[in-house]
Amino acid sequence: MSVGARHDRIKHVFMFPAFLLVLAVTLFPLIYALVVSFQSIRIVPPLPPRFVGLDNYADILASARFWGSVQVTAVIVFISVAIQYVLGFALALTLHHNVPGASLYRVSFLLPMFLAPVSVALIARMLFHPVLGPVNEMFSLFGLENLPFLTQPAFALATLVTVEVWQWTPFVVLLMLAGLQGLPNEVFEAAQVDNISVWRRFRDITFPMLLPLSVAVIFIRLIEGFKIIDTVFVLTGGGPGTSTETLTLFAYNEGFKKFNIGMTSALSFLFLIVVIVFGTLYLAAAQRMMRRYQ
Amino acid sequence: MKKLLLATALVPIASLAHAECSPDFSDVTLTVSTQNGPFIASALQIAAETWSEKTCGKVELVEFPFSELYPKFLTAMSQQTGDFDVIGFIPAWVPDFAPYLSVMPEAMQSGESWDDIHPVYRERLMSWGGEVKSATMDGDMHMLNYRADLFEDEANKSAFKEKYGYDLAAPVTWDQYYDIAEFFTESDKVDYGTAEAYKRGGQQFWYFFSHAASYTNNPANPGSMFFDPETMDAQINNPGWLKALEDYMKGLQFNPPGALNNGSGDVRPLYSGGSVAMNIDWADSGVLGATEGAIAGNVRTAVLPGAKEIWNHKTESWDKFDEPVASPFLAFGGWQLAVPSDSDNQEAAWSFVEEVTSIEVSGRAIVTANTAVNPYRLSHYENLENWKEIFTEEEAASYLGAQRATLDSPNVAFDLRLPGFFSYTEVLEIELSKALAGQVEPQEALDSIAQEWNKLTDDFGRESQLAAYRASMGLPPVE
Amino acid sequence: MQRHHFRSLGLVLALVWLIFCLFPLWWVLVTAFKPPLAVSQGATYLPFIDFQPTLQAFIDAFSGIRGDFAGPILSSIAVSVVSTALSVLLGAMAAYSLVRFEFRIRLLAGLAFGVLSIGGFVVLKHVIGLGVPMALLVVMLVALPVAILLNGLDLPGPVLKNDDVTFWFVSQRMFPPVVSAFALFLLYAEMNKVGVRLLDSFPGLVAAYTAFGLPFAVWLMRDFFSNVPVEVEEAAMVDDIGRLRIFFQIVLPMSKPGLIATSMIVLAFIWNEFLFALLLTSSKWQTLPILMAGQNSSRGDEWWAISVAALISIVPMIAVAVFLGRMMRSGFLAGSIK
Repeated sequence: MSVGARHDRIKHVFMFPAFLLVLAVTLFPLIYALVVSFQSIRIVPPLPPRFVGLDNYADILASARFWGSVQVTAVIVFISVAIQYVLGFALALTLHHNVPGASLYRVSFLLPMFLAPVSVALIARMLFHPVLGPVNEMFSLFGLENLPFLTQPAFALATLVTVEVWQWTPFVVLLMLAGLQGLPNEVFEAAQVDNISVWRRFRDITFPMLLPLSVAVIFIRLIEGFKIIDTVFVLTGGGPGTSTETLTLFAYNEGFKKFNIGMTSALSFLFLIVVIVFGTLYLAAAQRMMRRYQ
Repeated sequence: MKKLLLATALVPIASLAHAECSPDFSDVTLTVSTQNGPFIASALQIAAETWSEKTCGKVELVEFPFSELYPKFLTAMSQQTGDFDVIGFIPAWVPDFAPYLSVMPEAMQSGESWDDIHPVYRERLMSWGGEVKSATMDGDMHMLNYRADLFEDEANKSAFKEKYGYDLAAPVTWDQYYDIAEFFTESDKVDYGTAEAYKRGGQQFWYFFSHAASYTNNPANPGSMFFDPETMDAQINNPGWLKALEDYMKGLQFNPPGALNNGSGDVRPLYSGGSVAMNIDWADSGVLGATEGAIAGNVRTAVLPGAKEIWNHKTESWDKFDEPVASPFLAFGGWQLAVPSDSDNQEAAWSFVEEVTSIEVSGRAIVTANTAVNPYRLSHYENLENWKEIFTEEEAASYLGAQRATLDSPNVAFDLRLPGFFSYTEVLEIELSKALAGQVEPQEALDSIAQEWNKLTDDFGRESQLAAYRASMGLPPVE
Repeated sequence: MQRHHFRSLGLVLALVWLIFCLFPLWWVLVTAFKPPLAVSQGATYLPFIDFQPTLQAFIDAFSGIRGDFAGPILSSIAVSVVSTALSVLLGAMAAYSLVRFEFRIRLLAGLAFGVLSIGGFVVLKHVIGLGVPMALLVVMLVALPVAILLNGLDLPGPVLKNDDVTFWFVSQRMFPPVVSAFALFLLYAEMNKVGVRLLDSFPGLVAAYTAFGLPFAVWLMRDFFSNVPVEVEEAAMVDDIGRLRIFFQIVLPMSKPGLIATSMIVLAFIWNEFLFALLLTSSKWQTLPILMAGQNSSRGDEWWAISVAALISIVPMIAVAVFLGRMMRSGFLAGSIK
């Protein structure tokens, strides 16, 4: 941790530009949201703001729709991030060992990530069309025709998870690959000399060394995953009913369609709490795991 | 989206240019915004060219996705950013936008051009709270499209008569509509009977409304379709609406498989591509069928079917009629233009609106491919000459006739226009999709909607909502 | 034996993924050339065999009837490249200081900042009636020095360390964008009223997006820097080379794979961002995702048009991916040297 003295002032030169910029851009939104979350503010139809204390929070906590959307979001995020991580890490390992055509892989693996989620969703809607789409044709080969991919809750959730995995596994591949490339080669050469099996080499060397990066990668995916909206909006609109409605979609409808700003702000803070709860649980678990390996 | 449309002859010498400008807006650049093209946006673009030639003003067209237009316009106008000089939007948003819109100049509210607009648009949809704050630039309503080759085929006619006991023709009741849909679904002349939109977020609820109008828009109680116009109690769970929902769901068996995924955009090619015998749509299916489809020459359009019994919410019973009553529903109501009051160029902006909606420019727009501008002026309906490029004579006659007859119908049903529109339609979409997926019974779904609607009305203020609702239905204020 | 086992397993996995990954892209590519009938009558896959390809969708797109693509592409490229560069640079600097130095922030000082800024803002805005930009400025100018001063005092209570600072950065991304986008729009609109044009402007967008990308950059770069051996820097310090020079000339080049990976991640996020772009832009700086979302809206799914738009939005990114992919391979070599 410490090269040089503790009172090295130069650290502020490194830290402050980033710190101030983030503060400047995020401070007002946070203050605004907090103040407004205790008020009843509607722009549509325009009603005068009223201070309502914790009513907004109480209303949301009492609403089944909120808890439903927490559940839907959690299901989509946890399943898809787990798949993304396992798949992405495995692919990164494969790519690291220079498979034939690696450069083709490298480019094509990245592409899904660079498509705007809304385009991905539009494309997915073609692919999962229950009559005209190729996925239907594939299932038809097994005698399963015209499955309701987007209009029955279980199918719709599975479709959403598939789309998330398609788009964001590249994120894991990219970072894990960079992590693998940053590892010192000597360790592996030594292991090779000692003739340690591939699996043990992975378990005892590669995995522990990449654990901090893995923790960061999964965490970022969790945070970002919780904000899933475009794919849901385009593919199912949150339906049928509200059975695939995610937290952000719920907030979007409250905020940008109904302009119920007070309620949306309160919802955002509850959302923040949900993410922090899940995030803290996850980080605690990850920390324990890291300690075990140290 | 920077479409800088300069006057074609950007005369280098300024003074010369000025001489030709009347009125002179040579130092004005209007920011005009609407949904992504080509529909509507291309009509504005064409009008921008002629307007620029006349006035030397410039027009910059900014396009946003339809689903984001509402929040974009509302945030910009409520914060007075002055971003937009002219906005193109839909009548359902007028109640929410009205506080931020400027009033149409007096001069535009009279004269030949004004009188030429069909009264339904001029007096009803363009007016809010007694003021004219928006100008219709596109007329729109739900209609029934069918195929002449199937309906006029002798074999079909006799087979139909034999099975159902009456002549095959454009249906005038929903019961006939489902007979015909069933007949053609079973027939091998065409794949399926009909096509309607069922997709959530795909204009689904307007289709549902079109069914409901026939059973609930009681001529004895005008304006009672959505709410009781005396008390503002939601009507959506009454037996008329239930019948409509059951009808709407029954239609699924005569739609192509996967119809739950079809939005209004999918319904159109199904008809023009020849997969279905009928569909319900705005005026776009007709044009598509005649120009790009496999059914050119056979496009026929009719007023929406009606019913022989209509629910009466006052007597809580069905009123029976000897002849079917048509209650054609003005779904959506077309696109409108308005000038936000935070615009710095209001005079030029209204002058541009005048150009877009002028008899001449709009008369060309309705027959230009991809503008999606549909007739809304008396001259549009009468001038059959214009339509020859697209339609055969029979097609034009039925297409225009159906639109005109809808507007002239004594029991025409108006769309929901109410402050907080999205709050009302959101719960509607949620419950409707539950019912369609079979998660809840129709009555249960409608009860939930009614309960939420009543709650919303209370939240927003029952009295002000009632006043707004009565105004939108053309009723005088309550005493 | 066993090694081969894993290797072939990996190859199979990579192949399966390649198909899974590329099929939708292939689908988009061919759909862009489909005439309407090749879409509405069932799935078709191969041009010339399944259907007769047409360039109509491309002609439509470039003739401008589906919106002007050139403007948004240029704004998107300008905004996302500059913002990415800035956030990776600033993020890397912050990350470096988090790896090599120790920060100690007293919880009480942090809390004081929170209370002062929120309370101060509410008082200034609602009681005294200052404008939003003014109130914010005053709050920042007062609360920040006070907090820094307090931090220097020997206050009781827990002390936040580097991990917590990192977490603070990342936590900025946890707040759902709906409200923050709206609030940022309000702030920019207020700035507009005092004559500072941030709405629909390059600086406004870059500021928002740099802050948007910073949390990722900080966290990822911190992990990459922690693998850079400290000995090299110590040697340089002995030679009395300044810290900034060490950072730019030694540390940054040594973390090239990480820098590239981080840049791509940040770029992807900024390139695709929708909600902020929607509210903060109008006529001059509209970005590509807004245009993309609009392809869905002309009352119907014209799959060929959506496909063309998707292709257009991805082409610049293919170039970036190829370029960075190249650098990544040379980064691989650089990594093997140490």
